[in-house]
Amino acid sequence: MIDVQDMTKKYGKLAANDNITLSVEGGELAVLLGPNGAGKSTLIKSICGLLRFQGSVTIGGHENHTTEAKCILGYVPEFPVLYPLLTVAEHLEFIARAYRLDAWENRAEELLRRFELDDKKMKLGKELSKGMQQKVSVCCALLPQPKAVILDEPLVGLDPHGIRELKAVIAELRDSGCALLVSTHMIESVEENWDVTYIMVKGRIARVCRRTDIAAGQSLADVYFAITEGEGREGAR
Amino acid sequence: MSSLIFLLLRSAKNTFLELLRKPAQLVLWVFLIATFGGVILLSLFTRQSAENFADIIWLKGILLALILVFVVVAIQKGLSNGDVIFDMNDVNLLFVSPVSSRLILMYGIVRMAKMAFWAGFFILFQSNSLGRNFGVGFDAVLLVLLGFILAVSMLQILSLLIYSLTNGRPGRKLAVRLIAAAVFLPLITYLGLQLIGTGAPLPALENTLRSPLAAWTPVAGWASEGTVALITGDMGSGLLFLGLLVLTGVLLILYIALSNPDYYEDVLVATETAFEKKRDMSRGQFNTEGSLTKKVKVSKTGIGGIGSSAIFYKHMRESFRANRLGLWGLPSILAILGAALFSLFLRGEDGGIIILLQTLMWMQIFFIGTGRGLQELYMHYIYLIPGSSFPKIVWSNLEIAFRVLVESLAIFWIAGLIMGEPVLLIVAVIAVYTLFSFLLLGINYLSLRWTGADISTGFMMFIYTIAVAVIMLPGLVAAVFIGSMFGENGVLIGLGILALWELVAALGCFALSEGILHHCDMPVAKTGKQ
Repeated sequence: MIDVQDMTKKYGKLAANDNITLSVEGGELAVLLGPNGAGKSTLIKSICGLLRFQGSVTIGGHENHTTEAKCILGYVPEFPVLYPLLTVAEHLEFIARAYRLDAWENRAEELLRRFELDDKKMKLGKELSKGMQQKVSVCCALLPQPKAVILDEPLVGLDPHGIRELKAVIAELRDSGCALLVSTHMIESVEENWDVTYIMVKGRIARVCRRTDIAAGQSLADVYFAITEGEGREGAR
Repeated sequence: MSSLIFLLLRSAKNTFLELLRKPAQLVLWVFLIATFGGVILLSLFTRQSAENFADIIWLKGILLALILVFVVVAIQKGLSNGDVIFDMNDVNLLFVSPVSSRLILMYGIVRMAKMAFWAGFFILFQSNSLGRNFGVGFDAVLLVLLGFILAVSMLQILSLLIYSLTNGRPGRKLAVRLIAAAVFLPLITYLGLQLIGTGAPLPALENTLRSPLAAWTPVAGWASEGTVALITGDMGSGLLFLGLLVLTGVLLILYIALSNPDYYEDVLVATETAFEKKRDMSRGQFNTEGSLTKKVKVSKTGIGGIGSSAIFYKHMRESFRANRLGLWGLPSILAILGAALFSLFLRGEDGGIIILLQTLMWMQIFFIGTGRGLQELYMHYIYLIPGSSFPKIVWSNLEIAFRVLVESLAIFWIAGLIMGEPVLLIVAVIAVYTLFSFLLLGINYLSLRWTGADISTGFMMFIYTIAVAVIMLPGLVAAVFIGSMFGENGVLIGLGILALWELVAALGCFALSEGILHHCDMPVAKTGKQ
């Protein structure tokens, strides 16, 4: 569903992403791990079509800038950016109209209820706390029922209820056949559900690790620290 | 103390080294310094005959008005958050360090003077126009800059003091407002009486500026009187009024340092607010409405449109929520009133409406970016909405297109009527102004497309300004050349040619920036250190 081939993004001479290849199938939760400055957010923005790059990115077989790709892609940015003078409900209405969605109202209500925003529908974007803005941002990304969802540090700023709900939503999306790519530093938050992990170091994928690859008793955190703290960087590609 | 001197010197050194590492910024600085040198040379060699010079009292008036604006801003800042004299890194590192809070205040004031210098930097480029209009040399320009820096530095201290005295005390806030009004009331009353007495705005203004009331008006009066006195060689008055300014500043600093050594809380809100604003901008929240504390009433809700057109209807909803008049808020009303006032002064002058057009076109170069269409580029939504790039760009700029069209209709009809200009000329001026805005939008997109938005905001502004000059030049040359061949109707024909060129050039810019949403990085407001 999400397919990245030989993707390179340079800022001047600095390669923020160097020849990245990754893919996420439908019904799969891919986790993007890496230390600060590894190039995770750059990769995510490039996949979403917000940055120029060399190489190829397709969503559902369509080049990422095409209308077909945009129709099936949901994106939750690292920092929630809302329109300060639109209400919470109007953010969802705007997305529904811009994406030409039909019968979206019940779905919007359900999302707002799940994230405890149903009593905040008339609140303006600028009146919300950072955590609530993040919840609205998640609702906006999920409203069009995308087949591929990309989340950049989605749990940062959320309250415990928000974290629980978002983890449940991610699990449901995966079970329903959606392809998910999640970048996070909170390794334990994805420990239960991950299928494949891409560990990035200095703009490159240092290791691709499938759940079936790791030994019994070994956690995702063990794999991550083995790569990032110098116990060999096998599997670099 | 040594740690603070180390901080100041090392920051200056690192700024310089950083500049050397960024060739584009270095080129910009070399260009700026070369322009500055050119302006000085030009002012030295282009002296005009004495009969053309305006009375120096008008220079005092300009300086007084300019500093008055800063006075109002300083009082307002003092009553809300206080002025920003520290950065967030000062708060996090210095405030918790065992350095004396009074020394840290001195450090803040040195940094503040640096900010005041940059705020007045544009004055250095006025050397030629000051020489041409008032017959003064570069020494006078430096004196104007000195007066401005002293006034602005003093106002920043005043703002800090007002905040520290009135924070959380509505009674004191009201008292500051009343005192501020009382300080300027004599000058305003005197101007009103002069207007009634003379019946003409210019003589009334001149009489007011010559009165002792103008000279003794705190800060703005002292600075303008002291500066102009020094320029005209009246050392006594000059030193008296500028000395008064310095003395007041020193007394305010002493008061803050001695009475309130625990001023950290008073500067914290302004520093944090400024920091968050910069951080939000660098994260894409380019819309300043988000940081306004004004309560917004939500009455009508909902968004119209479908597909790309939803962007336009969203802008309409945001605009009507921001202003009761919708697209035409307070800035539009101020522009119309300002232009009407300007027209009163230009009445009877040959080509008055062209002077107004020129002034507004200059302003439009920098105000076009305030439209919601361009701000939309700093957020991810427009890139992700399904659909091709061009309709999204068109729909997202309809709001500013409507705003400019209606603004220009109001501005130039009112100004034209005041100045008694022919209808055809007014229509031509409206066409030139409206199409110029259209062209500016095109140049903005072209600059983003050409650079890929992968450069700093300052450098982007530089490229944009150069592009405006280069693209407008052929149209201006053709308008002047062809217009000069038609005698009486030359101005009208020249304006027609200019409007036509703007339309063609704008269409060209939009065509060349096709696919911008796919071919440039989502721009980030690179706001420097946060």
